[in-house]
Amino acid sequence: MDANSIISSLTGKFPEDICDANVESEIRTVAKVKPENVVEVCRYLKEDLSFGHLCCEFGVDYPDRNEIEVIYVIGSYEHPVILTMKAILPRDNPEVESVVPVYWNANWYERETYELFGVKYLNHPDLKPLVLPKEMLGEWPLRKDYKGFPNKTARNLV
Amino acid sequence: MDETVGPSEMIVHLGPQHPMMPGPFRLNAKLRGETVVDSEVEMGWIHKGIEKILESKTYLQGITIVDRICYLAAMTNEEAYVGCVEKLAGIEVPERAQYIRVIMEELSRLQSHLLGMGEYASFVGFVSMFMYTIRDREDVMSLIDSVTGARVTHSFLRYGGVKDDLPDGFKDDVKYVFGNLRKAIDNYEELYRTDAIYKARTKGIGVLTADVAKDLGVSGPPLRATGVAFDIRKDEPYLVYEDLDFKVCTQTDGDVFARIQVRLDEMRESMYIIEQCLDQIPSGPLFPEGTPYGKRSPVMRVPAGEVFHRVEDPRGEMGFYMVSDGSDKPYRVKVRGPVYPTLQTLPPLLKGVPVADIVAIAGSMDTCTSEVDR
Repeated sequence: MDANSIISSLTGKFPEDICDANVESEIRTVAKVKPENVVEVCRYLKEDLSFGHLCCEFGVDYPDRNEIEVIYVIGSYEHPVILTMKAILPRDNPEVESVVPVYWNANWYERETYELFGVKYLNHPDLKPLVLPKEMLGEWPLRKDYKGFPNKTARNLV
Repeated sequence: MDETVGPSEMIVHLGPQHPMMPGPFRLNAKLRGETVVDSEVEMGWIHKGIEKILESKTYLQGITIVDRICYLAAMTNEEAYVGCVEKLAGIEVPERAQYIRVIMEELSRLQSHLLGMGEYASFVGFVSMFMYTIRDREDVMSLIDSVTGARVTHSFLRYGGVKDDLPDGFKDDVKYVFGNLRKAIDNYEELYRTDAIYKARTKGIGVLTADVAKDLGVSGPPLRATGVAFDIRKDEPYLVYEDLDFKVCTQTDGDVFARIQVRLDEMRESMYIIEQCLDQIPSGPLFPEGTPYGKRSPVMRVPAGEVFHRVEDPRGEMGFYMVSDGSDKPYRVKVRGPVYPTLQTLPPLLKGVPVADIVAIAGSMDTCTSEVDR
């Protein structure tokens, strides 16, 4: 299966949900997906286009556009093509359906994106911080406007 | 994990400090008698915020930071990071530099497997094996040291090339070390195959089938031990791997014994790759000619864009996703480590096993907490 047929199959199946689909090279494709239908698109990718390997899932913060992008990098064990799929969420209330029912290993990626970016995953089996302590929840440290703890540095305490 | 415990059940916290793997993490295991009913992995003791740090460092400074993601795979981490920038900026690496990179990455795979495999033997009570492998690993470390000047955190790769050429007499050193190492690996294999206690501890334990392993997102030796020939060096060749002759080592059993066997076979393949490289390596420049990349500190601005580059780490698929906005610092870097999904598979793998097998199974994944936490 090559990159062009994957993209045409995907846009043919989901003409409403997939936009800006593009072939960057023989093994790299990109697409934007509507956040409401991420799970259906992922299920189609996994079951019909043999995209069985979720490489990673993470967020990118764009404060000037007031958006947070959640990026899914999905690969395959059968063919070398990688699909980079982006779901664009509003920055003040980022919410997206969890893809854990489709890709089991998305569990930790989503927990990490939640604690670092504040993206809320709906229907996630166990949404709680992974690498940060519970007290840090709500700081969203990987957002661009995170300032750290200027009031808690050693200089201010002594 | 459900925290409520029934009659004759208890929750045991293993860790955060324990000899199971390098780096702290906590495994909360719910036991009924001797059997694990449920378990949960807690991470975050050494979260360093490397992804955030990389956003505030220039591209050249970033190389030293990605070394620290996992000290056992520093060279492949660098390759993934440097490869991202090279793809974005369209830098062509000269052939000699590519060969040197392959040699160094395979050497780093050798030392990582030697440590992972030997350390594993000590988890199942075979402590003398650890002494043997750590002794032989020292020779490989000296080879790496002779080229890069550092044992673990090398900062050796540069955009478009490598820091230094191979030293004089490197080929003879490699020949000498590999002669001994080949004998040593045959020796290890014989020890593993004949030791009855080791076999009893590892055969049929922690079995992953190919479908389950794919579903759980595992990569590297644990996946290849199930029979899936998934290797980025073959599937998505980078550097000069296309021109080199090597095979993807697989086993079919998917148990702990098979994972160790895959690592043993891979070490032989790595040595074979290095020897081919040393025979084929052309002479030439280390940096593309007419570019500033070899100069001491080029102020680099990378064209805006996004790229995902992945390489084969000793432990599996290592990938970097980089977003550049055209400035001298990356806008966002995502580190996709191979251990992250592997460590996640512990709770389903440990369900129903005796307590004594927890260490045998968790250790066989050759995990590195530093990389999971980043």
